[in-house]
Amino acid sequence: MISVSGLHFSYDGKTEVLSDINLDIDRRSTAIIGQNGVGKTTFIKILKGLLRPASGKVTILGEDVTQKSAAQWASVIGLVFQNPNDQIFKKTVLEETLFGPLNIKMTPKAARKRAMEALSAVGLADKTDVNPYDLNLSDKKLLCIASVLAMNTRIVIFDEPTIAQDWQGLERIKAIINSLKAQGKLIMTIVHDIDFVAECFERTVVFNEGKVLLDGDTADVFAHVDVLRQARVSQPHIAQLAELAGLRRVCLTEDEFVRAFKDYAFIQ
Amino acid sequence: MKQLTLYVDKQSFVHAVDPITKLFYVAFAILTSMLVPTAYAGVICALLSLSLLCLAKVIKNASPVFLFIGFVLFTVVVIQGLFGVNNQTEAFRLSGLIFYREGLITGAKIILRVVNIVSAFLILTLTTKASDLVEDLVRAGLSPRIGYVITSVFQIIPQMISSADIIMDAQRSRGMETEGGLMVRMKAFIPLIGPVVLDSFMSTKERAMALEARAFSAPNKKTFLRERPAYTYAAKLRGAFVVLTLAALIWRLAA
Repeated sequence: MISVSGLHFSYDGKTEVLSDINLDIDRRSTAIIGQNGVGKTTFIKILKGLLRPASGKVTILGEDVTQKSAAQWASVIGLVFQNPNDQIFKKTVLEETLFGPLNIKMTPKAARKRAMEALSAVGLADKTDVNPYDLNLSDKKLLCIASVLAMNTRIVIFDEPTIAQDWQGLERIKAIINSLKAQGKLIMTIVHDIDFVAECFERTVVFNEGKVLLDGDTADVFAHVDVLRQARVSQPHIAQLAELAGLRRVCLTEDEFVRAFKDYAFIQ
Repeated sequence: MKQLTLYVDKQSFVHAVDPITKLFYVAFAILTSMLVPTAYAGVICALLSLSLLCLAKVIKNASPVFLFIGFVLFTVVVIQGLFGVNNQTEAFRLSGLIFYREGLITGAKIILRVVNIVSAFLILTLTTKASDLVEDLVRAGLSPRIGYVITSVFQIIPQMISSADIIMDAQRSRGMETEGGLMVRMKAFIPLIGPVVLDSFMSTKERAMALEARAFSAPNKKTFLRERPAYTYAAKLRGAFVVLTLAALIWRLAA
């Protein structure tokens, strides 16, 4: 769905933030991980058309990303920003959710329907008339997710979706991601929560110093402990536990761990 | 994040002078040129300030400012030369337009005053860190609250510009067009200004609480992280500037 070849980017024309990125992003849900400042957000902004590559080519659904403005790409790619306060400005939750759909020329009826569906998905359907600034940070973040979901884009990118979320909020976000995957949408995220990556994303790309250090199925990526260490990224806790327990398999979920542990105990 | 400062980091004796003495110089240069009844004082002060900018190796950084005010002042001279209230004596004609001597002299005096003010302030701003100036003023007795307000302006404005960029990206991501004609840009204004203003209100509140949590309003005398050695000739220079300014005042009163 997204093809990136020979991508280079620099903010000041001197220091390269991204250097020779080549990626073919298919339908698999994809997490981009790495330390702060390695170019993850810059990369996402280029995909969204918010920044222009210094060189190289990015195509989305076969179309060169530079041929349209970010606003024109909004009907194809949704991007949920990290800080909810960067986008909220309307007087009510419903109006905030309707902002995107109406911008991409959805009919008012369709926009309202999409907005209500999105608000139900994030658990804010009963707060449509509430002022967004009266919501707590977790709900503000969920509102931002709803305002992008309501646009019904084929690609949805989440920037640090787990920030400020309690257990319930986290479960809700996982459910949203699984539902979007089931609808055949491409889900991408930039995130530091490795356990969340292990649980929800099929493919993981590790960025380090503006380059792709590792790319592959999530389980395969988390098997390369030494390379991960180079990027200062740890394994998910469950994978670390499996390693400490002497299991040879990389486990990404509790279920996988239990199964592997039972097999191991049986062999022993 | 870009910094809101004109300071140029160079090694020169002007940089070494303490900020308060530079403030004394600014007051001296501006007041003297205005108080002394002859134009020579203004010329001498302007030449002195320009020389100091050269010696501080910052004249190149000052030139864009002079270019800008040069354009504005040119229009002032033209308007004064053509339409000045006291215009009587014809100086020259250009494409049928009559320029008058009195107006041109008034224009020249305005130029001298503005160049004096701008160059004196440029000495201060191009060779002094804002934080050093505020710290010295607080040491000299300025309220730390006012000092903080001044310092925070230098931090908050670039921060607001940076957050406005992020907010703009967030709204463009939701299909808001920001590039195009006047109407398109005006429509984009509200989704941009709302979060910027509310964000800065919220961060002001957070900042105030964070300051209080770190004893900002504690009644005791504060200590300073840096112990800057006192500038050797500070007292002599300040005294000289005060004496010269007073002399200019007496000259003016006697004239």
